[in-house]
Amino acid sequence: MGLTRRQFLRWSGASTLGAVVFYGCNIPDEELQIESPLGMPEEGLALGAENWYATICGQDAGTGVLVRVIDGRAKKIEGNPDYPMNQGKHSARSEAGLQALYHPDRISSPKYRENKSGEFRDISWEEARQLLADNVSNGGTAIITDPLSGHLALLVSKFAEGSGATHKAFKSVEEAVLAKVSEEVFGEKRLPDFDIANSKYILSFGADFLSTWQAPVRYASAYGEFRQGHSTRGIHTHVDPRFSMTSANADNWVPVKPGGEGVLAASMAYVIIRDGLAPSSIVSKLTDGEGAEHLAKFSPESSEVYAATGVDGHKIEELAHDFVDPHNQPSLAIGGGSAGAYTSGEFNLKAIYTLNILANNLNKSGGVRFNPDSPLESLNTDEVLAAGRPATLKEISELSSSGVQNVIIRGANPVYGLAGNGNFDSLLDRAKFVATFATSMDETANSSNLVLPELNYLESWGDSIPNPGPGYQILGLQQPIVTPFQEMARSFADELIHLSESLGLGLISQLQINDDPTIRGLVRRGADQLWSEGRGSVRADSADGFWQGALQRGGWWDVDAKRVSSANISKMENAWPSIEFGGEKGDGANTFNLIPFVSNSLLDGSLSNLPWLQATPDPVTSVTWASWVEISKQAAEEMDVTEGDLLELSAGGLKVKGPAYVHPAVPPWTVSMPFGQGHTVGEYAAGVGENVMSVIANMVDNGTGSLAWAATRVSVRNLGNSDGERIPKFEGTVEAYEVEERHILQITGPNGDSHGHGAH
Amino acid sequence: MVQAIQRRHKWGMVVDIDRCTGCQDCVVACHAENNVPLNDAKSFRAKRAHQWIRIERYWEGEFPNVKANFIPVMCQHCENAPCETVCPVYATYHNNEGMNVQIYNRCVGTRYCGNNCPYQVRFFNFWEPVWPESFKNQLNPDVTVRDRGIMEKCSFCVQRLHKAQRTIEGVDGKEITDQELKQRNFMPACVQSCATSALVFGDFLDPDSQVSRLKKAAYEEGGRGYRLAEALGTEPNVIYLKKVDIHTGHEVTTHA
Repeated sequence: MGLTRRQFLRWSGASTLGAVVFYGCNIPDEELQIESPLGMPEEGLALGAENWYATICGQDAGTGVLVRVIDGRAKKIEGNPDYPMNQGKHSARSEAGLQALYHPDRISSPKYRENKSGEFRDISWEEARQLLADNVSNGGTAIITDPLSGHLALLVSKFAEGSGATHKAFKSVEEAVLAKVSEEVFGEKRLPDFDIANSKYILSFGADFLSTWQAPVRYASAYGEFRQGHSTRGIHTHVDPRFSMTSANADNWVPVKPGGEGVLAASMAYVIIRDGLAPSSIVSKLTDGEGAEHLAKFSPESSEVYAATGVDGHKIEELAHDFVDPHNQPSLAIGGGSAGAYTSGEFNLKAIYTLNILANNLNKSGGVRFNPDSPLESLNTDEVLAAGRPATLKEISELSSSGVQNVIIRGANPVYGLAGNGNFDSLLDRAKFVATFATSMDETANSSNLVLPELNYLESWGDSIPNPGPGYQILGLQQPIVTPFQEMARSFADELIHLSESLGLGLISQLQINDDPTIRGLVRRGADQLWSEGRGSVRADSADGFWQGALQRGGWWDVDAKRVSSANISKMENAWPSIEFGGEKGDGANTFNLIPFVSNSLLDGSLSNLPWLQATPDPVTSVTWASWVEISKQAAEEMDVTEGDLLELSAGGLKVKGPAYVHPAVPPWTVSMPFGQGHTVGEYAAGVGENVMSVIANMVDNGTGSLAWAATRVSVRNLGNSDGERIPKFEGTVEAYEVEERHILQITGPNGDSHGHGAH
Repeated sequence: MVQAIQRRHKWGMVVDIDRCTGCQDCVVACHAENNVPLNDAKSFRAKRAHQWIRIERYWEGEFPNVKANFIPVMCQHCENAPCETVCPVYATYHNNEGMNVQIYNRCVGTRYCGNNCPYQVRFFNFWEPVWPESFKNQLNPDVTVRDRGIMEKCSFCVQRLHKAQRTIEGVDGKEITDQELKQRNFMPACVQSCATSALVFGDFLDPDSQVSRLKKAAYEEGGRGYRLAEALGTEPNVIYLKKVDIHTGHEVTTHA
């Protein structure tokens, strides 16, 4: 340890990433200078000179970024090379943060209306604060935010505790199932992290981890190494009822029947145990001494298993043997996304993650690992961790039927994201006062009484403890890198502190931030504590030096502070899961399983108002600026569907429409549609496509009450395309054909025999 | 006797399509760095969307044994560029660092270069590019905004390379190495963003650069190197590394 950044970059091939120490205020001048706004002169600006500032990204979870600032304006966002989660890489979603910052829809002033259907009028912040304080002190309050971490999570949980308010973190496509399974299978409070780079065989179920799932930039950067960074190339098998970006990149894609992922994993576990391919000590704990008999009903020969998975017995045996094959070790099983979004979601993920126990890869290179507790004790409490865990649909419904009078919403758009599910609309209708903090207007702000302009993450203070983390202790720092674009915008955290004072909660003294009663003061107090630890990536002689050094590098981390997880292996569940579907009943003609998916660029719709991301082609279909229905060639032939025909999906009276996109990798029994479109508010979002969430049946995972968003069956009707409307997409309209000797994309086998395809 | 120009650099790229996941990070990074006009739905329908770097997707096989393969394509900076010879006003030419350069001020918009490019990586501004007033805050001051009637294309982020030359060679008097380009953020925007490190940029004249090492390995026995439409003799400065398919010897049919 103790190597400088320069030495580190030179040796980075040989050493652990992140194992570099920065000495506060002592950065060699030949490197890219990353400034701290603490040293920034008034307005910060020598005309024409550029500065780079480190902060964390508010649009792609867990990413640390550098922002180029010229003349007080942010010009470019790039990955922070020092930040352990993304090591200099970033996604299109991070890049488009600039469009969120300079969006024409930014809210310029607090707005109020007494009646939720009336006209907004601009009001002053004094009036807005008074309205907040008067209402919150009168009747029960619910606070709904995006999933929070770090000191903001601490602040919100303390506020909720002091004021008696209920706090729920909201994400429309939540992973509450995974959080519970992580606790039950591994006994861990945090989400699992995967050492993809050093794994030799990855078996993933449902999780689109190269595109949007959990920490995709971290996983993708490891995936490059997994593929071509070692002498043997890693092999990847992906089990998914939809051909996602991750399916497209896998060496083997298994188009499982929707909901059958857990049965498939349990059947693999049966084969591994039956053939004696797992350590007997683990097997006896998992099966309580019964051995393979415990899972006998999941035998690959069983016709029920075939009926549930659509994967034949030989294939299951082959998958099981490949997973534990000594040549393929360390191997890794990953599950999430649609695999957890059925009525059997919890069973599925439990069975999938149990495969890691059988492969005995916990805490090992190429295996599963967990993040340790933070050195900041106040951030390890159950309340703080809960503030980062998205609420299940069941919890949202319970909140809706409680007698809540006031709702404060921040960074979440449940009116769009639930589209009728969970009775959220009725919660807002009934509430006497709804206040929304937002940077731009959205559907939820449009259903509120009070709209408060919030600072963008590039304009405000904060911090983040990524979950899943990099496998060691980390605190990412967020700092304002530009002066606020909208002068009236304010920090949600600071306003919450102000509100707590008006209510007399005494949070300022409780949190010991009397000197600087803002979120910056709170984060700074945490940083001072980290400084006194005297270890990790930033060292300095003084707390001020540490603060400046940590801000310059985007945070603090300690690669040696790892967690050795001791999984308390418990008996594996062997009850046959109940896999049920909502929506259309029966197996009528033109009835399909609807597998919606999180959009590569727009996510669940939270980024739909950014034109760069609307114009980013979907990786598989290349469609832009639209929502579309993916349908198989076979079904399209039967129903006489050609690309661009308008398809109507209906499920128990609910309907959604989208143009057909026919491609060869859609299983004949499914149709798919992306989340994220069909907004009614937003310069670039409104009027583009339709919201697939509005057709999702109200089904939940039996174990957790999480929304089972992949458990809807729909009937499809072809409405034709009389106007000859074409889908806006990037690929050509003429089918590519082969030109001898001019293959655009060339492919080689492991033994060097090549083929190729496509000229256009 | 005509003397060969003494080259100090020969910039180029190595693209490993076995690493590329088709995530589109490079596409948006390029838009942000190079002030590429906003592409609306109309421009996609008209097949006139500007993407200096694009991801092409090719299908292989039929369900259930079906694959999609991705390949990033940008200006290949050909040594023998078909676009250069047809420009009547010398708006596009080959500089002595191996790059195909577009001089916007000279361009009169004949579009001959676009017609002659076999890689379809040149984009014509049929319209005046429009940004809402507030988005103009983001425009990169180092890059010209192209007017209507002007051809534009990938420049290997020449503005970053120029700055590298001014600072590393000019001010510090040092050689430009991969190390220096990376540390001081002079790599092209697409390369910087590429999460899987499928895109690698550098100087083919520097034997220690990563591109030189990859190029050497690419053309050794069993290497994966090839160039796009090589038979045309365009001599691209972009080398591709073949996709690896573990299922050898199976029949494939391909289509888009």
